[in-house]
Amino acid sequence: MTHQSHLRFKEWCKHALLCCVLFFAFVPFFLMLMISLKTNDQYTTNPWWFDAPSQWCWANWTKGWNTVGHYITNSIVVAVGSVLLCLTISIPTSYVIARYRFPGRELVYYALMATMFLPGGAAALVTTFKLISSMGLVNNLAALVLLSGIGGQVSCVFILRQFIEEIPKELFESASIDGAGHLRQMWSIMLPLSGPVIGTLAIMNFLGAWNDLIMPLILLRDDQMLTIPVGLMRLDGEYVKMWGELMAGYSIAAIPLVILFLFTIRLFVRGLTAGAVKG
Amino acid sequence: MSGDSTPRTGETRRAAAAGTIEIPVDGAGSMARWWPRARFVAMLWLMMLPTIAGLAIFTYFPNLETVKYSLYKWDGGAVEEFRLFYNFKQIFGGGDPRYWAAFSLIGVLLAANLVKMWPSIFTAIVLHRLKSERWQFFYRVLFVVPMVIPGLVGLLLWKGYYDPNVGLFNKLLNGIGLMPVLNSLDTAMPALAAFVNGNLLVWNSANPLWSILLLPTQIITPLFGGLWGMLVFGFVLLLLRDGVQTIPGRWMLWVMVMAFAVLTWGPNPFENPLPFLARGLILLGGGALLVEWLRKRDSIEGKDVVARIAAGVLITAGLLVLLSKIWVDPTNAFINGNPSWLGHSKLVVPAVIVWGFPWIGTVGVLIYLAGLANISKEVYEAAELDGIGFWGKIFRIEIPLILTQVRINLIFLTIGTLNEYGFFLILLGPDGGPDNAGLTPGLYMYQKAFIQSEMGYACALGMVMFTLILFLTIVYQRHLKVDK
Repeated sequence: MTHQSHLRFKEWCKHALLCCVLFFAFVPFFLMLMISLKTNDQYTTNPWWFDAPSQWCWANWTKGWNTVGHYITNSIVVAVGSVLLCLTISIPTSYVIARYRFPGRELVYYALMATMFLPGGAAALVTTFKLISSMGLVNNLAALVLLSGIGGQVSCVFILRQFIEEIPKELFESASIDGAGHLRQMWSIMLPLSGPVIGTLAIMNFLGAWNDLIMPLILLRDDQMLTIPVGLMRLDGEYVKMWGELMAGYSIAAIPLVILFLFTIRLFVRGLTAGAVKG
Repeated sequence: MSGDSTPRTGETRRAAAAGTIEIPVDGAGSMARWWPRARFVAMLWLMMLPTIAGLAIFTYFPNLETVKYSLYKWDGGAVEEFRLFYNFKQIFGGGDPRYWAAFSLIGVLLAANLVKMWPSIFTAIVLHRLKSERWQFFYRVLFVVPMVIPGLVGLLLWKGYYDPNVGLFNKLLNGIGLMPVLNSLDTAMPALAAFVNGNLLVWNSANPLWSILLLPTQIITPLFGGLWGMLVFGFVLLLLRDGVQTIPGRWMLWVMVMAFAVLTWGPNPFENPLPFLARGLILLGGGALLVEWLRKRDSIEGKDVVARIAAGVLITAGLLVLLSKIWVDPTNAFINGNPSWLGHSKLVVPAVIVWGFPWIGTVGVLIYLAGLANISKEVYEAAELDGIGFWGKIFRIEIPLILTQVRINLIFLTIGTLNEYGFFLILLGPDGGPDNAGLTPGLYMYQKAFIQSEMGYACALGMVMFTLILFLTIVYQRHLKVDK
């Protein structure tokens, strides 16, 4: 084997391995779509198999839409609200912590970081529920926005702080000599320079709020208020036999994220690979 | 906010740390100089106010309340009754064996997760080694795409795979002929475990010849109180390897080690504390002295010897645990070729471990890739010249250079595993499946709080968990320093 063909062989091995990995990653995706288009008869005769739908049953999708439609609206409200809240409170904080030294700076930073190690588990869940109900926010999407926005700011501050510290400080200094205040400096120096990072953080936060299950499970009561994960979980309990509709519901639930990624995937992939989420 | 003009001229000093600005320093102490500075700092605090308020109200307040309620009998409503350490006595006094049983499940899951993190790293390395930039980007995009599926859907799909009669998993096992193998192992493994338990770990009076031959392994039970104790000893030795410099550190370590030992040693150390304490003191004291002596003799080499002893102890104990504690009884589940993976108490844990095969988290891959991107071409060229091969490059270049990511991942993996309950709740219900086989401490806490309405008790369980996580975080901080 010549050196050249040996190299090419090695490249092919890598491609084969990656395709194998991707195969496993895409199997759920594929099966979900296939089953969503099968009739229940075809599913029960040969469940979980890769055969194409014998008769394309689009009725599943209409039924699926009727059940998950309002879950999607709720989830979008929660996720967008949480991203907005998270960014509006974490951007000024990371700006302050990254740029200035003043009494109490370390305290705030470590108080933020320490929350990552709190056992947040079920015990704090009880007291959190108590807090939320004392605020009268049970069965209210605002509670979810507050909780996931405030919970999500920790990693945002952690990562943004590192990025702002890497921005040459002369930029900020010359702006402030020219009379720019804090808001102005954040808006016209920090935001443009850390745009991709903030975008990636926003997407991560969006995904976190989107996939959160436990909090909505505890805080939401009415079917009209449920977010996607809780709604799907209820469907899984109810529609045991209706696999086609269930999977159609799952597929529809994925559509908002498909749209989100269609527009942001370049940014997201760049941001992730550029080390936006190093830790 | 933007109208705030700050008198920074002249008094501004460069901070030692890069990128930070020392705010104006109080010079003569006159009102004129003091006031603007205070106003400036107040402005900074004002900008952080939403963060601080949110954190205090929604994170710290509930968590502090769990501390309070851990001392109460509380049903979550109006009924509160202060009863000091009653809850903790219940937990540590042997009144709650199910809680401690849940921890052995965590041990297993943690070990499994430590293995399951490697495929992602390996995939990231392969992706990084691709020559073509275009292909790399293409694959990266493809790796993000599966994220559009709501997390719950993946979970429910896997639940479908495990269905005993129609699931993909059993079909696959039958198809590639693994089911008969599993069936024969079902008798072979328990026999092996019986041998290890009966001959290696205790003196077999029926067969003294065996016991004499296997004498070195006989000391495990009297010395460590069992295999779990041996594992604890190994960890403690690892901890002591670096020594604990400060007095508070020493004290903390001692308390944590004791707490951890209580978790693992003996069924009820409070009822009969003397042998437990004596054994613990002898082991820990002896270990500490040994380490101290080795460190004095030759600091670097001593450290090495201790590490090697610790690794030896841990590996031996781990192997023996694998052989003697896991497949103890025949499950009789494989005979018909349709084991119910999530419905059989012995199969739940294996099913959870296999869950998500091939264990490649696509976001994880991208994060590791970020670390790999920092490796310069020169490093590879130098390695090429030195004749370092494929595996050599992985272990000498790539893994050391992404160690930061690996370490951070490890910390969050551990904390995540300890806290895990959502997954088990959806999959197996609040009881943790058949015979509580999938009952994690977190799920038990959930069950106590929301099913049995013993919220005060659940808070006490949460405090125990908090202590444990604090301990593990300290261990990691010591051993897996994250250098920025």
